[in-house]
Amino acid sequence: MEKIFEQALLYDFYGELLTEHQRNIYEDAVFHDMSLGEIAEEKGISRQGVHDLIKRCDKILQDYESKLHLVERFEKAKAKIGEIVALTQCEETADGKAVDNAVVIRKIETEETETQYAERMKKICELSQELMKEW
Amino acid sequence: MAVKIRLRRMGQKKAPFYRIIVADSRSPRDGRFIEEIGTYDPNTDPSTFKINEELAKKWLANGAQPTEQVAKLFKVAGIEK
Repeated sequence: MEKIFEQALLYDFYGELLTEHQRNIYEDAVFHDMSLGEIAEEKGISRQGVHDLIKRCDKILQDYESKLHLVERFEKAKAKIGEIVALTQCEETADGKAVDNAVVIRKIETEETETQYAERMKKICELSQELMKEW
Repeated sequence: MAVKIRLRRMGQKKAPFYRIIVADSRSPRDGRFIEEIGTYDPNTDPSTFKINEELAKKWLANGAQPTEQVAKLFKVAGIEK
Protein backbone atom coordinates (compact mmCIF):
# COMPACT_ATOMS: atom_id res chain seq x y z
CA MET A 1 0.00 0.00 0.00
CA GLU A 2 1.31 3.44 -0.84
CA LYS A 3 2.44 5.44 2.12
CA ILE A 4 0.27 8.48 1.51
CA PHE A 5 -2.78 6.25 1.19
CA GLU A 6 -1.95 4.38 4.37
CA GLN A 7 -1.41 7.65 6.22
CA ALA A 8 -4.69 9.05 4.90
CA LEU A 9 -6.63 5.99 6.01
CA LEU A 10 -5.06 5.91 9.46
CA TYR A 11 -5.80 9.61 9.80
CA ASP A 12 -9.44 9.10 8.80
CA PHE A 13 -9.84 6.56 11.56
CA TYR A 14 -7.73 7.92 14.39
CA GLY A 15 -6.98 11.51 13.37
CA GLU A 16 -9.25 13.01 15.97
CA LEU A 17 -7.09 11.52 18.68
CA LEU A 18 -4.23 13.80 17.68
CA THR A 19 -3.88 17.32 19.04
CA GLU A 20 -5.06 20.20 16.91
CA HIS A 21 -1.51 21.28 16.15
CA GLN A 22 -0.58 17.77 15.06
CA ARG A 23 -3.71 17.51 12.94
CA ASN A 24 -2.99 20.78 11.14
CA ILE A 25 0.49 19.77 10.14
CA TYR A 26 -0.39 16.18 9.35
CA GLU A 27 -3.23 17.31 7.10
CA ASP A 28 -0.95 19.68 5.23
CA ALA A 29 1.45 16.83 4.60
CA VAL A 30 -1.02 14.06 3.83
CA PHE A 31 -4.02 15.84 2.29
CA HIS A 32 -2.31 18.71 0.53
CA ASP A 33 0.95 16.97 -0.31
CA MET A 34 3.03 19.85 1.04
CA SER A 35 6.74 19.36 1.54
CA LEU A 36 8.43 19.58 4.92
CA GLY A 37 10.09 22.82 3.88
CA GLU A 38 6.81 24.42 2.88
CA ILE A 39 5.10 23.46 6.12
CA ALA A 40 8.07 24.57 8.18
CA GLU A 41 8.17 27.97 6.54
CA GLU A 42 4.46 28.52 6.97
CA LYS A 43 4.26 27.46 10.60
CA GLY A 44 7.51 29.15 11.57
CA ILE A 45 9.14 26.00 12.88
CA SER A 46 12.18 24.13 11.66
CA ARG A 47 12.10 21.57 8.89
CA GLN A 48 13.44 19.02 11.35
CA GLY A 49 10.61 19.89 13.72
CA VAL A 50 8.01 19.18 11.06
CA HIS A 51 9.72 15.93 10.15
CA ASP A 52 9.78 14.77 13.76
CA LEU A 53 6.16 15.73 14.28
CA ILE A 54 4.98 13.80 11.24
CA LYS A 55 7.05 10.78 12.23
CA ARG A 56 5.60 10.96 15.73
CA CYS A 57 2.05 11.20 14.37
CA ASP A 58 2.70 8.20 12.11
CA LYS A 59 3.78 6.24 15.13
CA ILE A 60 0.84 7.36 17.28
CA LEU A 61 -1.66 6.41 14.56
CA GLN A 62 0.09 3.09 13.95
CA ASP A 63 -0.02 2.30 17.65
CA TYR A 64 -3.77 2.84 17.68
CA GLU A 65 -4.09 0.59 14.66
CA SER A 66 -2.03 -2.17 16.27
CA LYS A 67 -4.40 -2.12 19.24
CA LEU A 68 -7.74 -1.47 17.58
CA HIS A 69 -7.27 -2.87 14.04
CA LEU A 70 -10.01 -0.66 12.62
CA VAL A 71 -8.28 -0.11 9.28
CA GLU A 72 -7.54 -3.80 8.94
CA ARG A 73 -11.16 -4.70 9.65
CA PHE A 74 -12.31 -2.02 7.27
CA GLU A 75 -10.13 -3.35 4.46
CA LYS A 76 -11.37 -6.89 5.03
CA ALA A 77 -15.01 -5.83 5.06
CA LYS A 78 -14.42 -3.78 1.94
CA ALA A 79 -12.97 -6.76 0.10
CA LYS A 80 -15.87 -9.00 1.11
CA ILE A 81 -18.47 -6.45 0.14
CA GLY A 82 -16.75 -6.01 -3.17
CA GLU A 83 -17.18 -9.71 -3.77
CA ILE A 84 -20.85 -9.64 -2.81
CA VAL A 85 -21.48 -6.74 -5.12
CA ALA A 86 -19.67 -8.46 -7.96
CA LEU A 87 -21.61 -11.69 -7.40
CA THR A 88 -24.97 -10.02 -7.40
CA GLN A 89 -24.42 -8.07 -10.56
CA CYS A 90 -25.45 -9.51 -13.89
CA GLU A 91 -22.84 -9.88 -16.54
CA GLU A 92 -23.42 -8.39 -19.94
CA THR A 93 -22.75 -10.83 -22.71
CA ALA A 94 -21.66 -9.99 -26.22
CA ASP A 95 -25.22 -9.86 -27.56
CA GLY A 96 -26.16 -7.40 -24.82
CA LYS A 97 -28.31 -9.89 -22.95
CA ALA A 98 -27.89 -9.91 -19.19
CA VAL A 99 -26.96 -13.36 -17.99
CA ASP A 100 -26.82 -14.38 -14.38
CA ASN A 101 -25.82 -17.95 -13.66
CA ALA A 102 -27.28 -17.77 -10.19
CA VAL A 103 -30.69 -16.90 -11.61
CA VAL A 104 -30.76 -20.14 -13.54
CA ILE A 105 -29.80 -22.20 -10.54
CA ARG A 106 -32.35 -20.54 -8.27
CA LYS A 107 -35.11 -20.94 -10.77
CA ILE A 108 -34.62 -24.67 -10.73
CA GLU A 109 -34.54 -24.86 -6.95
CA THR A 110 -37.39 -22.53 -6.05
CA GLU A 111 -40.56 -20.96 -7.39
CA GLU A 112 -39.06 -17.50 -7.17
CA THR A 113 -39.63 -15.44 -10.28
CA GLU A 114 -36.83 -13.71 -12.00
CA THR A 115 -38.17 -10.30 -10.99
CA GLN A 116 -38.37 -11.29 -7.33
CA TYR A 117 -34.93 -12.72 -7.52
CA ALA A 118 -33.56 -9.60 -9.13
CA GLU A 119 -35.16 -7.47 -6.45
CA ARG A 120 -33.68 -9.55 -3.70
CA MET A 121 -30.28 -9.38 -5.26
CA LYS A 122 -30.60 -5.64 -5.66
CA LYS A 123 -31.42 -5.39 -1.97
CA ILE A 124 -28.30 -7.33 -1.08
CA CYS A 125 -26.33 -5.00 -3.24
CA GLU A 126 -27.83 -1.92 -1.60
CA LEU A 127 -27.30 -3.29 1.87
CA SER A 128 -23.71 -4.09 1.16
CA GLN A 129 -23.12 -0.64 -0.12
CA GLU A 130 -24.83 0.91 2.88
CA LEU A 131 -22.67 -1.14 5.18
CA MET A 132 -19.66 0.16 3.32
CA LYS A 133 -20.76 3.75 3.87
CA GLU A 134 -21.37 3.17 7.58
CA TRP A 135 -17.76 2.21 7.95
CA MET B 1 6.13 32.49 -8.97
CA ALA B 2 6.91 28.93 -8.18
CA VAL B 3 4.55 26.42 -9.68
CA LYS B 4 4.12 22.99 -8.18
CA ILE B 5 2.52 19.79 -9.34
CA ARG B 6 0.99 18.08 -6.35
CA LEU B 7 -1.67 15.70 -5.20
CA ARG B 8 -4.82 17.07 -3.70
CA ARG B 9 -7.00 14.81 -1.68
CA MET B 10 -10.63 14.51 -2.71
CA GLY B 11 -13.16 11.81 -2.02
CA GLN B 12 -14.90 10.77 1.12
CA LYS B 13 -13.58 9.83 4.49
CA LYS B 14 -11.96 6.40 4.36
CA ALA B 15 -11.95 6.45 0.57
CA PRO B 16 -9.13 8.79 -0.35
CA PHE B 17 -8.89 9.81 -3.94
CA TYR B 18 -6.47 12.32 -5.37
CA ARG B 19 -6.32 14.82 -8.13
CA ILE B 20 -3.00 15.70 -9.66
CA ILE B 21 -3.01 19.45 -9.94
CA VAL B 22 -0.77 22.25 -11.04
CA ALA B 23 -0.88 25.11 -8.56
CA ASP B 24 0.98 28.11 -7.28
CA SER B 25 3.21 27.02 -4.39
CA ARG B 26 1.73 29.79 -2.26
CA SER B 27 -1.82 28.47 -2.42
CA PRO B 28 -1.59 24.85 -1.37
CA ARG B 29 -4.69 24.90 0.75
CA ASP B 30 -7.16 27.43 -0.56
CA GLY B 31 -8.51 25.21 -3.32
CA ARG B 32 -7.27 27.30 -6.21
CA PHE B 33 -5.28 25.58 -8.87
CA ILE B 34 -4.12 26.38 -12.35
CA GLU B 35 -4.90 23.12 -14.05
CA GLU B 36 -5.86 19.54 -13.28
CA ILE B 37 -3.65 17.13 -15.15
CA GLY B 38 -4.78 13.78 -13.79
CA THR B 39 -6.20 11.61 -11.04
CA TYR B 40 -4.87 8.97 -8.71
CA ASP B 41 -7.06 6.35 -7.07
CA PRO B 42 -5.34 4.13 -4.52
CA ASN B 43 -8.59 2.38 -3.55
CA THR B 44 -8.40 -0.09 -6.38
CA ASP B 45 -5.98 -2.98 -6.35
CA PRO B 46 -3.55 -2.25 -7.92
CA SER B 47 -4.00 1.49 -7.63
CA THR B 48 -4.95 3.31 -10.79
CA PHE B 49 -4.01 6.68 -12.08
CA LYS B 50 -4.67 8.77 -15.12
CA ILE B 51 -2.28 11.43 -16.28
CA ASN B 52 -2.62 13.73 -19.23
CA GLU B 53 0.88 13.18 -20.51
CA GLU B 54 0.90 16.18 -22.82
CA LEU B 55 -0.02 18.60 -20.05
CA ALA B 56 2.36 16.98 -17.60
CA LYS B 57 5.25 17.34 -20.02
CA LYS B 58 4.28 20.90 -20.80
CA TRP B 59 4.30 21.89 -17.15
CA LEU B 60 7.53 20.07 -16.41
CA ALA B 61 9.16 21.82 -19.35
CA ASN B 62 7.91 25.12 -17.96
CA GLY B 63 9.70 24.42 -14.71
CA ALA B 64 6.84 23.22 -12.54
CA GLN B 65 8.15 21.24 -9.59
CA PRO B 66 6.44 17.90 -8.89
CA THR B 67 6.23 16.76 -5.26
CA GLU B 68 7.80 13.46 -4.27
CA GLN B 69 4.50 11.61 -4.56
CA VAL B 70 3.76 13.04 -7.98
CA ALA B 71 7.30 12.37 -9.17
CA LYS B 72 6.78 8.73 -8.22
CA LEU B 73 3.59 8.56 -10.27
CA PHE B 74 5.29 10.21 -13.22
CA LYS B 75 8.07 7.67 -13.03
CA VAL B 76 5.59 4.80 -13.13
CA ALA B 77 3.81 6.46 -16.03
CA GLY B 78 7.12 6.95 -17.81
CA ILE B 79 6.84 10.72 -18.00
CA GLU B 80 10.06 12.64 -18.09
CA LYS B 81 10.96 16.16 -18.90
